[in-house]
Formats: sequence, C-alpha cells, structure tokens
Amino acid sequence: MAGNIIEVTNLEKRFGQNLVLKNITFNVQRSEKVVIIGPSGGGKSTLLRCLNRLEDDYQGIVKFNDQNIMLADAGKIRSIRQKIGMVFQQFNLFPNKTALENITFAPVKLKLLSQQRAIDRAHRLLSQVGLDNKANAYPQSLSGGQQQRVAIARSLAMNPSVLLFDEPTSALDPEMVGDVLAVMTDLADKGMTMIIVTHEMSFAQKVADKILFMDQGIIADQGDPHYIFHETKNPRTRAFLSKVMI
Amino acid sequence: MFSFLKHYYPVFVQGTAQTILISIIGILIGIILGLFFVTLRRSKVKLCQYIARVYIAIVRGTPSMIQVMLIYYGLSKVLDIPQIQFLGSGLDRMIPGSIALGINSGAYTAEIFRSGLISIPRGQTEAGLSLGLSDHTTLFSIVMPQAVRNILPALGNEFITLIKESSVLFYIGVQEVTAQALGVGGTLYNFIPPLLVAAIIYFVLTFSMSQVISLLERRLGTAYLKVNQEE
Repeated sequence: MAGNIIEVTNLEKRFGQNLVLKNITFNVQRSEKVVIIGPSGGGKSTLLRCLNRLEDDYQGIVKFNDQNIMLADAGKIRSIRQKIGMVFQQFNLFPNKTALENITFAPVKLKLLSQQRAIDRAHRLLSQVGLDNKANAYPQSLSGGQQQRVAIARSLAMNPSVLLFDEPTSALDPEMVGDVLAVMTDLADKGMTMIIVTHEMSFAQKVADKILFMDQGIIADQGDPHYIFHETKNPRTRAFLSKVMI
Repeated sequence: MFSFLKHYYPVFVQGTAQTILISIIGILIGIILGLFFVTLRRSKVKLCQYIARVYIAIVRGTPSMIQVMLIYYGLSKVLDIPQIQFLGSGLDRMIPGSIALGINSGAYTAEIFRSGLISIPRGQTEAGLSLGLSDHTTLFSIVMPQAVRNILPALGNEFITLIKESSVLFYIGVQEVTAQALGVGGTLYNFIPPLLVAAIIYFVLTFSMSQVISLLERRLGTAYLKVNQEE
C-alpha cells in the first residue's frame, strides 16, 4: 500500500533459545499513531528496536518507505535511522553536552545543517517543548521530565518522518509525566507519525489511531481505541486492561 | 652529605633525561598497544579476543624484569641496532628497553581502556546510532570522551607506575637515573646519598605527572560533573 511508511511482515526474533517475537505483521501509515500496549516481557520494546535495527538478526521483513532495512548496508541504515527518531525510557541524553549541544550534535556532525542553523533550530525545538530557558543546562541539572523533553527535541532535530517512543514516561516521577505527554500529544496533533510503547492508558485512548496489544511475543489483539477499551472479547486483553485501568 | 653532587650532578641530569625519554616512549607505545588490544578484545571475532586475552594474561602474569631481558636479548638476535650513544646509553639498549616498557604497559592500558568503555551505558551508543551516526562516530565522539574522563585516574596511575618501573632497564644497561645513582654509589663507596637523590628525582617526576593528570581531570570534568558533586 502506498501510504505505508512502515511494513512489518512475519517478524520473528530470538534471544538465544528464547523466541521473543513471533510472526508479527502490521503496517503503519503516514501520520498514523500506533500505540503498543501489553504486559512487561511481551516483546514491545524489542519490536520497536527491530524497526530501526537496534536489534539485529531477526527473521521476516521490516520495510521503511519500501526499503527492506535488514538488507540495507551501513550507509543506508544510517540514512534510514536519521528518518526514524527514537525516544528512550532512560532518555539517553549525552551527559557531557548541554541541552542545546545534545540537539545540535547529530545534524551538525552529519553535515545536514550548518552550526548556526542547527542552533537556531535547536532553540525553536526547545521552545516547542517548553525548555528554551534550559538551553545551556547540562542533563544532570534537569529533571527527568525535562530531560525527556530535550530528548524528544533531539530526535526532532533530524526532521524524522516517524518517531518511536519506548516507554517514554516509565522512568519519570508521576508529576513529570503530564509535561512529556503534552509534548507528545502536541506532536500527534501536528501530524507526526508515531509508534508508542506505553503504559499510559488514557493517553493511548486519546491519541492512538490503532492499538496493538502484545503478549508473549505476538500481537494478541488490535484495533482502534474504542474496540480495545470497550468492545474486545479477547480474554487476555481484558485481563490486562482490568489490571492497569484503575 | 650531598656534596658529591657538585661533581656528579651532570650524571644525574643525564640519567633523569634518560628516564624521562624512555618513560615517554614507553607510555606512547603503551597507549597505542592498549588501543589496539582493546579493539581486539572487544572484537566479535573469537580469535582476536583470544589473542588479546593471552597477551594481557602473559604480561600481567610475568615479572617485568624478565620481560625486559627477554625482549632485549630476543631483539638483539634479530635486529641489528647501531650502538650509537645517546644520553649515556647505547640505542641498542634504549630502543628494546622502551619497547619492552611499552609492551608491558600496553596490557594494563588495554584493560583500563576496556573498563572505561564498559563504564559508559549502552544507551549512549544506542542514542548515537538511532540518530543515524556511524558506529565510528558514536564510539569516538560520544562514548570515548566520556570514557576518557572516567579512566583518567587509572591511566595516571599506570603512567606513574611506568616511570618507576623504568628503573628495571638498569638490568639491560640503560643508564637511566637508578643506574646512574648506583654507579655514583659505587665510586663513593656509599650508596645511600645517591639513591636518596634518585628517589627524590622519581618523586618529582611522578608528582608532576599526577599534577598534570588532575589538571586534565578538572579540564575534562566540566560543568556536568560539578552538578553531580553538589547534589
């Protein structure tokens, strides 16, 4: 299908003897928001990490803009990764660089932007996530929520066509979660294509076009938020939701 | 007690220069070998890992004096180095001697580098890769600068050890500061004063080295560490 930015077909991934992803097939369309939910250890993060080949050696096909990323050579995978932003649970900001330098580093290093234009863009992105006053702060002096917002700005600096979020709020104090989700909702409203692994169910309900419920390495259930939260008869989905929705 | 210095100070100056020179060469060779063997050690190829492990195990498990002698006698059999005198010693002794110091230091340096790389969380590499940076850029521009800061104290320690250990080159006839002190002691029939002078010289050298390292630590520490310490 022409509108698909990501196509995953029969994806299987093993860690040693352990089959952690089984026969995963799904597509993501441009501007679509796909939220992946499910119990811990169900393969959600591994699936996300296969999409930009942080996980290697899998069976099946992952395509980004019709290119099979498993077959991409080193140069090709780098240019694909530039277009697939990733936001991590532990933020992974560079601790020896300021918020601004974290954002400008990759675009300048990859010669996509001049130093000055990268700085201008970084300031714009920091304003967008509400942190322009923290441009010269080092990550250690920022709260978790602020670090995660800088990390989102860092991936946006590459002008990605899709953003992957790997439990972006799971490492945050509860009072920080709202700020990060607000930034993500704002991105969703602007039409960004997003694939989000999260345990924030009300956020999933509000933002998702499609929800994948993953359990024991398979997509056990999928549908729009209304289906997943109200209509599904799948016992595993219902059992999971009854535990996480209070 | 130290009046002999009036006559013998040029000997000590020469010995000190010799010690500094062989130490610098040893440190440089050690760094290069350290980088080389840490790359082997972290390689995905089992044979490379194995070679690095064997090298490190042998160097750490044998006395440096025997290493120096083996390398000196071994090299003099295969290489014909001219016996040009420099700072009181023949190049045919200095060159194998400094290479031996470097080979010895390389094993420790490789392990120090490895500990530095391990100390940086995997997430830093993943963040770099996910932005589309190459493995090489991620390693050298993101991981290494953080690792170097973490290993500076250990690296400083290794350099200081090497300066002191360079005295083993006395056994193959390199006229470094220990050898000179023993020589002077022999002529004076009194070893204590010249050995004290040598000890003071080593102390000044190693103390200066530790000052340079702590200066570097402060330079590389930058703002982000201070924040950490205040908390």
